[in-house]
Amino acid sequence: MAARGCAAAWRDTLAELLRDKGALLLIVLAPVFYGFFYPWPYATEVLQRVPVAIVDLDHSSLSRQIVRYADASPDLRVAMVTGDEESARQAMWRGEIEGYALLTRDLRRNVLRGRPAPVVVSTNGSYALYNKAVMTGFTAVIGTVSAGVEIAQRTARGQGRAQAMAGRSPVGVSAVALYNPTGGYGSYVVPAVALIIMQQTLLMGIAMLAGTWAEAGRLRAPASVWLGRVLAFSTAGLFAGLVYFGWIFWLQDYPRGGNPLGALVLLLCYAPAVSVAGALLGAWLKDREQALQVWLFTSLPIAFLSGFAWPVESLPPVLQAVRWIFPSTAGIDASLRLNQMGAPLADVAGSLSWLAAWALAGFAALAWWMRPRDPGTLRGDVRSA
Amino acid sequence: MSAAAGPSPHTGGKSAKREVPSGVFRRAAGREAAWLRRHPRELAMISWVPLLAVLLLWWMFSAGIPTRLPIAIVDDDHSALSRQLARMLEAAPGLRIARRDASLAEARAGMERGDIYAVVAIERDFSRDIKRGASGHVTLYHNAQFYTVSGLVLRDVQTVAMTLSAGVEMAARIRRGEPAQAVAVSSEPIRPSSLALFNPSLNYEQFLAAALIPALLHILGMTAGAWAVGREIRDRTVGAWLAAATGAGTDPAGGVCIAAGPALAALAGKLAWPWAGLSAVGLAALLWLTWGRGWHPPGSLPWVAVALAAFIALSITMGAVAALATRSLRTALSLAGVVTAPAFAFSGMGFPLAAMPAGARAWALALPYTHYIRLQVEQLQMGAPLGHSLPTFVLMPVGAVLLALAAAWLLRGVAAEPARWGGR
Repeated sequence: MAARGCAAAWRDTLAELLRDKGALLLIVLAPVFYGFFYPWPYATEVLQRVPVAIVDLDHSSLSRQIVRYADASPDLRVAMVTGDEESARQAMWRGEIEGYALLTRDLRRNVLRGRPAPVVVSTNGSYALYNKAVMTGFTAVIGTVSAGVEIAQRTARGQGRAQAMAGRSPVGVSAVALYNPTGGYGSYVVPAVALIIMQQTLLMGIAMLAGTWAEAGRLRAPASVWLGRVLAFSTAGLFAGLVYFGWIFWLQDYPRGGNPLGALVLLLCYAPAVSVAGALLGAWLKDREQALQVWLFTSLPIAFLSGFAWPVESLPPVLQAVRWIFPSTAGIDASLRLNQMGAPLADVAGSLSWLAAWALAGFAALAWWMRPRDPGTLRGDVRSA
Repeated sequence: MSAAAGPSPHTGGKSAKREVPSGVFRRAAGREAAWLRRHPRELAMISWVPLLAVLLLWWMFSAGIPTRLPIAIVDDDHSALSRQLARMLEAAPGLRIARRDASLAEARAGMERGDIYAVVAIERDFSRDIKRGASGHVTLYHNAQFYTVSGLVLRDVQTVAMTLSAGVEMAARIRRGEPAQAVAVSSEPIRPSSLALFNPSLNYEQFLAAALIPALLHILGMTAGAWAVGREIRDRTVGAWLAAATGAGTDPAGGVCIAAGPALAALAGKLAWPWAGLSAVGLAALLWLTWGRGWHPPGSLPWVAVALAAFIALSITMGAVAALATRSLRTALSLAGVVTAPAFAFSGMGFPLAAMPAGARAWALALPYTHYIRLQVEQLQMGAPLGHSLPTFVLMPVGAVLLALAAAWLLRGVAAEPARWGGR
């Protein structure tokens, strides 16, 4: 009988979810919409040819060589060559350039005499990506020009060309980007944010539905009915998860598919955990719209607590523990490692068991808290068939 | 400005006298205050919840600059020089050697388990190659799925390699008999020295926390505006609200016919509470992040505070307009989610505006947060003259006023059509 009640509740809940415009929009359509909306600004993935200025006080063949090399760099575009540092600064305020290099008077003469010849690169530290691109670009350009000068000097001193080249930089570092080989920005942000979108839309949609039931006095129900409801919510969550893992990651060409079976196991733990969380929120609020009011803003702190954008090691120790309250923390951790890094299931066992435990403990609390009051006497309570 | 001008057959005695807008404002504010006192959860959403959320954001980034990020080292060379490199990596403030692995496969497994962000692999003949005068190779495998961390680790490893390089080269030149002084000077003919003009230490507390707090208040503001007005439509209490505020009577169906002036005053009285609450939180956060944390921004802090208060007013009126235009609390809150929650992603603070596709950039430029945050960066970090930020200073309050006028105009229509209240 309990099994029949569970199956009926599953069917009824799914039917209600499809009938209720608000819940349908939030639970089914919103994840698909955000799957296109959120990656939109990052479509170009990498920053190229950032506009910069060169303040040339030297006016020598060397300074002109630096300008040429800078303009040829894939990171930089020389938007301005000026003899006045103040005008470069003004251009930076206006947002016309994002950094500049200052070539001092007597740069070439100092180089030829072997005196220190620093080139000061000023960047806009308020924008991390610009800062990085301008620094990397100018460092490479000046390094190349500098190497040319030095190799010429060394060969002039009689060293062989090969030795002169190797001796310049005895320790060479080559960087290999793993798991996100193009270093794309969207490839880094969206796969993690996808789990937050899935959590927030499902959670608020469920809380909305539960709030509606509470208003109608049919929220309380036996455990078997609650099981059917949670399974129905999880079915919807599973659908959204498959849309992201199977379709949107592929459509946007993000790193994906590292461990598809593992990702499926993750969804089977993640969707129930989020569903239970949504039902608990709705049972507490008992109001159809209030879940949106109290939960919308949480996306922002949740994103930066989850550890993909800001290193966990730098969070205060208390927050390092508290952040696990949100299913998305374990979800993102497991999803990045399964989908993007292709880790074996055993490596994410911790996160997956945490999600499973969350779902089970949350369900137990929910079924007990929202059990029928005085079974059989109160009108409006849903009883197992 | 006569509230009683409308045709109101059921006017009570109170509504017969002419209303002044300040009286309407006061009564609307009084009615909203009484409601908030009776509904602590709603009061919480414009007072202590925003305060705690803002505190949480600051606390998250209070470390400022990430340090001691765990990496692994795979040393196939086992030489004095490779051990020196490991010691230098360990000494770099940004890094911590969490694992020493025998093989790359082992280290990568550690990365997949999440123990480390990067692996520094030192090749077998590292030391011999360097002694021969060739280049010794070090490979840094970094987890590019963690973009910020990858960048920080890469920078630190490169700095360590450059330091070691310089040391090795100087030693070699001195061995060759070049005078020590000449060696020190000419080891690199042209040396780039970096200078981040604004936010020189690349402090994330000043960069991310300062940007995320207004983004959070933006979400809370539009939500609060949508809630305060949309709730009255949902609960079919628009008539009661406007009647209490303006003294206008209701027609038999419950509708109210009022002029735009009293409608504006009734809206302002209601929305004054979320504006006061969120602005107080925003101001406190601004002062704490700057003076409270010993950061003295180069631009004008008072003007940023004014702009922030105007930006919050704009966010709240956006919510009110959404509720009145859709006549649905649920839809208005969903719109608040679509417009404000991804505003940070579109703002250019993470991925620059110039690199976005044209459509996304157009959307970003239509969002008020994009403009507010540029102003804040100009004033708090870049120290730009006020003139550079002037357009935004003007547009922010003008936008809020225009939206408030639009809301008042919409409210007149909504008030007159009680049949369309109560939508869920």
